[in-house]
Amino acid sequence: MANTKKVSAGRKKLLYVRKNYDLYLLLVPTLVFIAIFNLVPLWGLQIAFRDYKLMAGGTPWRSIWASKWVGLNIISKVFGKSEFTRALRNTLVISAMKIVFTFPLPIVFAIFLNEVRSNGFQKGLQLIVYLPHFLSWVVVSGLFVSLLNSMGPVNKLITSLGGAKIRFLMDNSWFRTILIVSEAWKEIGWSSIIYFAAIAGLDMECYEAAIVDGASRFQKMWYITLPGLLPTVVLMLIIRMGNIMDAGFSQIFAMYNPTVYESADIIGTYVYRLGLGKLDFSTGTAVGVFNSIIGLVLVLLSNVFAKRATGKSIW
Amino acid sequence: MSKTRKKAQSYLTRRTAFDYIDMVVLSLFGVMILLPVLQVVAKAFSGEGPVIAGLVTFWPIGFQTDTIGYVVKKGEFLKAFQTSVIATVAGTTLSMFLTVTSAYPLSKPTLVGRKFILYVFVFIMLFHAGMVPNYLLFRSLGLTNTIWALIFSGAFSVFNMFIVKNYFEALPESVEEAARIDGASNIRTLVSVILPMSMPVVATVTLYYAVGFWNNYMAGVLYITKADLKPLQQYLYDLVRQALDTTDAAGNIKDIDSTMNLTGESVRAATIVVSTVPILIVYPFLQKYFVKGMTIGSVKG
Repeated sequence: MANTKKVSAGRKKLLYVRKNYDLYLLLVPTLVFIAIFNLVPLWGLQIAFRDYKLMAGGTPWRSIWASKWVGLNIISKVFGKSEFTRALRNTLVISAMKIVFTFPLPIVFAIFLNEVRSNGFQKGLQLIVYLPHFLSWVVVSGLFVSLLNSMGPVNKLITSLGGAKIRFLMDNSWFRTILIVSEAWKEIGWSSIIYFAAIAGLDMECYEAAIVDGASRFQKMWYITLPGLLPTVVLMLIIRMGNIMDAGFSQIFAMYNPTVYESADIIGTYVYRLGLGKLDFSTGTAVGVFNSIIGLVLVLLSNVFAKRATGKSIW
Repeated sequence: MSKTRKKAQSYLTRRTAFDYIDMVVLSLFGVMILLPVLQVVAKAFSGEGPVIAGLVTFWPIGFQTDTIGYVVKKGEFLKAFQTSVIATVAGTTLSMFLTVTSAYPLSKPTLVGRKFILYVFVFIMLFHAGMVPNYLLFRSLGLTNTIWALIFSGAFSVFNMFIVKNYFEALPESVEEAARIDGASNIRTLVSVILPMSMPVVATVTLYYAVGFWNNYMAGVLYITKADLKPLQQYLYDLVRQALDTTDAAGNIKDIDSTMNLTGESVRAATIVVSTVPILIVYPFLQKYFVKGMTIGSVKG
């Protein structure tokens, strides 16, 4: 009995596939694409366990197998490098600073924008504050270099107030601040969309009842809007924490320079300089793998937390 | 009830001091967002002299358009602009093809093997091999220093696929059934029934991809070394790096400021402005589509 049932379930699946073969046909191009560009590179991660020589084989890719297997030699050496510890520390510190200082801003912005009673004002302001999100980090880097150099408006203001010029982009005590400010500048508006939409979805009855009870504007914001936003805030915070290993590679890569490696060299930029700068492919891969694995574990953990906290899965 | 409604109504329309303070503070925030942009625009349109003397802040001094003219007529710039346009158009087309053709089958809850394929997609979204294996693969496939390197990197985004898939799943079942009764194949249904109904999400995701390709500078930095194949963002990256280059040929550290105030400053500003113009032109008209994606995307996959 059980056996025939199993067979018929299998046959059903087979029938489904035969009848809907064109659905699978549709999937083929994407599967081929990700096989080549996403899965094959994973196979190349073994460079981290080999003493990779670019010219050992016919092509750089074949060289992987032609290079000597050295086991955990390279990976264990990585942990002893002071540059690695520095990159790891910078990654965590910069990420943590970004969460503390920039994460709350879009929430505050969305709440106060929601209080504005002129539709035209809301729309106009949204048009302005979403814009920087669409500029590349290279452009943003160019804007901030121009803004912060010794002849730029910021230093002009400082000297006119009697202060001494600050070399923001070459100063280890300033560079992280610049990273946070430029990230905030670029993303506050865009990140606020999700909160703004969440506020729009809140129950109007609550507000009406509060008005009848004579609640002030601040009371409404504090006792209705903010608690209503909490699930969204928790979810976004968990997602953000899951991505802590990404401190903003494209941003830092476009803005940093050797004078601020001490405070701003993160794992991604370190991997680039090792692998593609010094052509130490094995060490570069080893550091990259370390970063990817920790990152993956954190994202998976954050999804578990998100499910538990809000009943929603991130993906 | 009507009395309380009326009270609520008047409350909602009356403007208090709070409203004005709120609007003033938010306006100041808006100005702060605009200032860095204005400052570079001002430099791009100012005379060379005032720029070098550091006189320009947020408004052009000695207004002229020669610098802009010089930049757009430069061969390297034109070549880079052209490369970026080709990579963006071709890349976005390929991306949309892959995204739609994979989102549609995966939007079918009955698809055999759906769960497994989704796991693979989520996995590649979360785990990347990283720069080095990708670089070696691109080099071995002969893609480095070809336009294909720019097209293939970033051509498929699992996140965007999920946005489209969620949208397909939310479409009413009945429409598709009607097509099925008429004997249409799945592909037929996708092309003539589903896609026409999905134009908003198609527009949104197309824009995401297009902006992604246009703004991608890493693909160029990693895979392109030939000068006449650099995309615009890489060309710009090289310009900005000149300003950030703090070591001289001998490896000694020099001051950013000393490189900053060469005549390059005006040219740099003008190049930034010109390369951002395409985005600035489409942005106001398409803003609602961009925003839509954020809210569609927040629906669980």
